[in-house]
Amino acid sequence: MPNPDASPAAPIISVAGVNKWYGAFQVLTDVSLSVARGEKVVICGPSGSGKSTLIRCLNQLEQHQEGSIVVDGIELGQSENAAQAVRREVGMVFQHFNLFPHLDLVQNCILAPMSVRGMSRRAAEALAVGLLERVRLGEHAHKYPSQLSGGQQQRAAIARALCMEPRVMLFDEPTSALDPEMVGEVLDTMRGLAAEGMTMMIVTHEMGFARQVADRVVFMDRGQIVEQAPPAAFFGAPVHERTRRFLSQILH
Amino acid sequence: MTLDFSVILDNWQLFASGLWMTLVVALLSIAAGFLLAIPVAIMALSHRRWLRTIAGAYVEWFRNIPFIVVLYIFFYGLPFMGLRLPEPVVGGIALAFYASTYFSEVIRGAVLAVPKGQLEAARAVGMSYFMGMREVVAPQTLRLLLPPSTNTAISMIKETSVLSTITVAEITYQGLVVQGATFAPFEVFLTTAALYWLITSAFAHGMHRVERAAGAAQGSQQARHSLADKYLQLGMRRSK
Repeated sequence: MPNPDASPAAPIISVAGVNKWYGAFQVLTDVSLSVARGEKVVICGPSGSGKSTLIRCLNQLEQHQEGSIVVDGIELGQSENAAQAVRREVGMVFQHFNLFPHLDLVQNCILAPMSVRGMSRRAAEALAVGLLERVRLGEHAHKYPSQLSGGQQQRAAIARALCMEPRVMLFDEPTSALDPEMVGEVLDTMRGLAAEGMTMMIVTHEMGFARQVADRVVFMDRGQIVEQAPPAAFFGAPVHERTRRFLSQILH
Repeated sequence: MTLDFSVILDNWQLFASGLWMTLVVALLSIAAGFLLAIPVAIMALSHRRWLRTIAGAYVEWFRNIPFIVVLYIFFYGLPFMGLRLPEPVVGGIALAFYASTYFSEVIRGAVLAVPKGQLEAARAVGMSYFMGMREVVAPQTLRLLLPPSTNTAISMIKETSVLSTITVAEITYQGLVVQGATFAPFEVFLTTAALYWLITSAFAHGMHRVERAAGAAQGSQQARHSLADKYLQLGMRRSK
């Protein structure tokens, strides 16, 4: 349940002093970050820099060991109930789509609204069909994931997440597993979502997209946030040597 | 030397009742064993170490002992604990426990074969672990579960012959009886073998049909559609 005391001006996500280890290996080191309502934050960095781990901590698919994470007024890490409450309000899109292969697209979309929100089948289906049309999959609504292309599957996964009417959407490398010709359609869908004012955190290597859509770009390396800035400043005048090196590698 | 199957025909009622006993005991103990295997598999998959340890010990204990010894332990152990039951029931219980360890490994394997991202996706949309397992993971294990379960069930059908040692009047026991009365062991055991073959092959064929039906309901049908779609798309692209 969203905390009614959370004022609209307060950040919807606030991460403070988070540390996380896998055994002896530290994946996140003293990470602090806050995201305002409606803000679009792109996280980039070399592989293994902890960016996916960070956004997976935001809905507790991974647990942090130190520090605090508050999402929509709910402090995470205390209990499974808190994690579930946050997940009801925070949608996630995965690199490998993770659609449910035994269900068609409509069934993929209505499963959570019906079982978690207790929505009626009729209402959930109306919502699902509307959202599938919005991601331009209306005619495929009763197909199974295996009958669709990668780009279509990822758009369906976005519709599935939107069916829970989330306040925040997390994207974990949503275009990394796609054939190049399908990247555009997924990014277009995300642009549409951004234009409607959705709060978004996006881990991606699509720097052109970051430049257009992001309010802020965060660069991570070796589990730390090295630098964060609005895209113009981030791409135009990166401060840190590591950021410059990363950008020169990824932009060429 | 000639084979004389008239001794079989003369004693057909014994074989028929043996066949019936084998069918009933096998079916009930396989069903009970599978049901018993579900909580064992859930424990084996738990993130709590002590539950995994208990499940592991249970499976290891039964799997490293020949079934005939397990049967004797139940046969002498239950009365020792004050529980006197008819032999077919004792045998069925022993076989159910024995089968449950194999079925639990089959179930565990099927659950582990479902990609981890499936449960993560279920949890990410707010479903609990239990709900995600029930609605998302379990339905996907079904097709993975069928072939190895059939194998295990066939092994268990054959293991029912061991119940003859505690005087359960199933096929092998009746064979021994007829053999004792007629001194025609070769004919008797050829017949016994044929009866087992009848049960196991009928079971295997039945399960194969179920597998195909389950496959058609999910995977293969979709694959056919998607292949057709791809051809259609190719055709359209060319015609543009």
